[in-house]
Amino acid sequence: MSRLHIAVESAALKNGLRVVISPDRTAPLVTVGVYYKIGFRLEPRGRSGFAHLFEHMMFQGSENAPKMVHIKLINSSGGFLNGSTHHDVTNYFEAVPSNALERILWLEADRMRALKVDDENLRNQRDVVKEEVLVNVLNQPYGGFPWLDLPPIAFRNWPNAHNFYGDFGDLDAASLADVQAFFKTYYAPNNAVLLILGDVEAQESFQLARKYFEDIPAGAPPPFADATEPEQTEERRGVVEEKFGTLPALAVGYHAPKRRTPDWHAMAMLDETLHGGRVGRIYRTLVLEKQIAVDTEGGIHYPSGNLFDYNGPAQMVTRIMYKPEYTAEQTIAEFDAVIREVQEKGVPPQELDPAKVKFRSDYFSMIEGGRGSYIPRYGLMHFLACFTLFDNDPQLVNTILDGFLEVTPAQVQEVAQKYLRPAQRAIVIRKPVAAMRKGAA
Amino acid sequence: MATGVSSANRSAVPPLAPERPVVWPPRKRVQLANGLDIVLLESHTIPKFTGELFLRSGNAAVADQAVGLAEMTAAVVRTGTSRRASRQIEEDLRRMGANLAASAGADTSAISFEGLAEFSGPLLELVSELAQHASFPADEFERERRQTIEALRIERATPEFLAGERLRKTLFGDHPYALVSPTEAQVQAYRREELLWVYREHYRPGNALLVLVGDYGAERMLEQVEKAFASWPGGKARPTRPPAPLAPYGRRVYLVHLPGAVQTQVLVGCLSITRKHPDWMRLGLANCIYGGAFNSRLVMNIREQKGYTYSPRSTVHALRQHGYFTIHAAVRNEVVAATLTEMFYELDRMRALPVPDDELADARNYLSGVFSLGLGTQDGLLSQLSTVYLNELPEDYLENYRERVRALTSEDVLAAARRYFNSANAQIVVVGDRSDVEAQAKLFGELTVYDAQGSILERSVEKGP
Repeated sequence: MSRLHIAVESAALKNGLRVVISPDRTAPLVTVGVYYKIGFRLEPRGRSGFAHLFEHMMFQGSENAPKMVHIKLINSSGGFLNGSTHHDVTNYFEAVPSNALERILWLEADRMRALKVDDENLRNQRDVVKEEVLVNVLNQPYGGFPWLDLPPIAFRNWPNAHNFYGDFGDLDAASLADVQAFFKTYYAPNNAVLLILGDVEAQESFQLARKYFEDIPAGAPPPFADATEPEQTEERRGVVEEKFGTLPALAVGYHAPKRRTPDWHAMAMLDETLHGGRVGRIYRTLVLEKQIAVDTEGGIHYPSGNLFDYNGPAQMVTRIMYKPEYTAEQTIAEFDAVIREVQEKGVPPQELDPAKVKFRSDYFSMIEGGRGSYIPRYGLMHFLACFTLFDNDPQLVNTILDGFLEVTPAQVQEVAQKYLRPAQRAIVIRKPVAAMRKGAA
Repeated sequence: MATGVSSANRSAVPPLAPERPVVWPPRKRVQLANGLDIVLLESHTIPKFTGELFLRSGNAAVADQAVGLAEMTAAVVRTGTSRRASRQIEEDLRRMGANLAASAGADTSAISFEGLAEFSGPLLELVSELAQHASFPADEFERERRQTIEALRIERATPEFLAGERLRKTLFGDHPYALVSPTEAQVQAYRREELLWVYREHYRPGNALLVLVGDYGAERMLEQVEKAFASWPGGKARPTRPPAPLAPYGRRVYLVHLPGAVQTQVLVGCLSITRKHPDWMRLGLANCIYGGAFNSRLVMNIREQKGYTYSPRSTVHALRQHGYFTIHAAVRNEVVAATLTEMFYELDRMRALPVPDDELADARNYLSGVFSLGLGTQDGLLSQLSTVYLNELPEDYLENYRERVRALTSEDVLAAARRYFNSANAQIVVVGDRSDVEAQAKLFGELTVYDAQGSILERSVEKGP
């Protein structure tokens, strides 16, 4: 069996910033990431969408790199840059020719040390973010389905249940004082990890990290709101209007186990047998055999995240686009039949073994790319960051597969029985407006 | 040194270190006796391999038969062979840790695949089987037909799709590049015999290119490829001679009415050139400065200064026979006219004034730098190699690209902008709710209003002098 060993070295600076280096000198490229352990889950109440709006502000200027300079310096060094906001982390990353490493570290350190933005920047990015929400959600067929639709139905605790992209009223209410407070609270070096991957030498990289980051003052340990969920006792359902699309759709979410437990390993293998492409039981049954649906997808922490990048309540989600001649109830009944079969008969070894092969193969691909090839090793960066911030162990990237490959058919059947219960799930239905009108007539 | 940077010198941007050489790994090029072109390359970043079998015929080559026929053919190719049923194919893929997709664009049909290197032999056998022995099961075809129709209905509610489709019609006229997507009726009318005809005519080794990048020796790759593909009977596809594109004269505006839209998709375009054209690099650099990069004039203007939009960009689309240039932005309804004004302002500025030296140097460095990011992954290498060999670019294209970009001058950029940023004859498409944007749209030229199905709702009459 092919294995992959990734060179990983890590250390903490005096201010608490963790530094993870993964040298690989195959090509003269380096990918740099800075991850802060704060995402949209724990943004302030009354400020939905703020973590993401704040992510935009991090590109608006810092003490020595005013607005436009950050982007210009990275592009003109021959590289790409971006940032993204997740449930429990926010990342900033660059892929550049390796001769730009020191410049990139300087830029990242400058904005970790001293964000310097004004009201004009905030107004500008609030406008940009609203257009982002329009283009991705409000003016798009199935926009936000189900990643924004499901949480308010599935969860009861605000951190897990609110609108992560942000209500426009909340975005409008965000002030420069909010920006400064959020920066001070969560963007301290002791709440972050710096990742340097690619064409570098480890000791030299640690030295550069110390040179640029070590004298950034540590902050008080950030407070983290309690995101635990009350026990769910009955199925939860909701309906959302689909304004543009013509097909009805529904999504089912079951609470997923805590990361790095035996149940989590087994659930991941169950997920692979259910959602693993066209051979997965759900697509095979609903799309290929029964032909009640035209598409299905799903996964743990799908579609906004993956198995590894959550640090609080998460769900295994199935998304089903079904034909208008079927009802939601008929579709759910067929879906339930698939789930029941796994619960009653389990998954035979001749299905589980290939699922493990596929899982291992996909893991390697995620490490290399994971987000298109424009940021080499984006996936490796993402996993190393999550394993550092959530688990304090970046070396997990080399060992985490083992737990999944040891899962037995009996464990898969057990988690199917334990977690895939109607009382433990939420269902959201996207109803095309046209169809609703027709139904009413 | 290692103890920190004093605040006094913290303001200095660190210079770039000396570059490490960019070395494209050697690739092996072979042509089998049956005419199959092969490109092989070793890449040992992960224990996997990835590849793509291209047929140099896509929807454009079969458009005289039916619109979108190559796409439907590709979709059904993966659903059965004379030896394996659909479910067997999918289970075999999982057993090999593999993903596979078959699809077609305007110029190519392709079977793309990736999997664990340890199963490369059997995966190549399966790809070969799909290319030679697809059985086109009638029931799978009917299922795909229905799924395609449902997908088309959703496309017709998607602003980006509607804008792109309308622009291609306005630029290409009778050329098959005008036909981005079939109608439901056209999909209903496909016959299985037509799919078989496309398959027989175009899935031939003389019409094919196989590119493989993976974590094992090129010699073994070649052995496996020969074993899997040598028995594919030779043959070339019949070339087609499509009519010339429309090359529209004068600015016109096309409004696609999407009732209830809360934002407007703006798309401006004109015909340009293919990758084989001697001006390709010049245009690429001009595009980069105009709107191709984050740090470009368009993005800085309408996003970073004015906040009209989230993700504006300009792009040169290189189809095989013709290229075209586009500028796009999704903007709030009130600023449609303002956005178009800025797009044309920046376009005309590129045409009028030479780009300053520092801006030029930044753009050259950007283009040459991001080009080499493809070296970092198996995917990136596959994509770069495919571009070179599908477009029949020179053998040393990858090696010389950076040097050629760095030799470009401000005069080159100005000349390219004047030739290809054809603002006087640019076609304007806006997709939005007519009641919110029609008055703004018609400020920019003669206006035609369509519905999402492509029917004309209204055409403005050109007034005489």
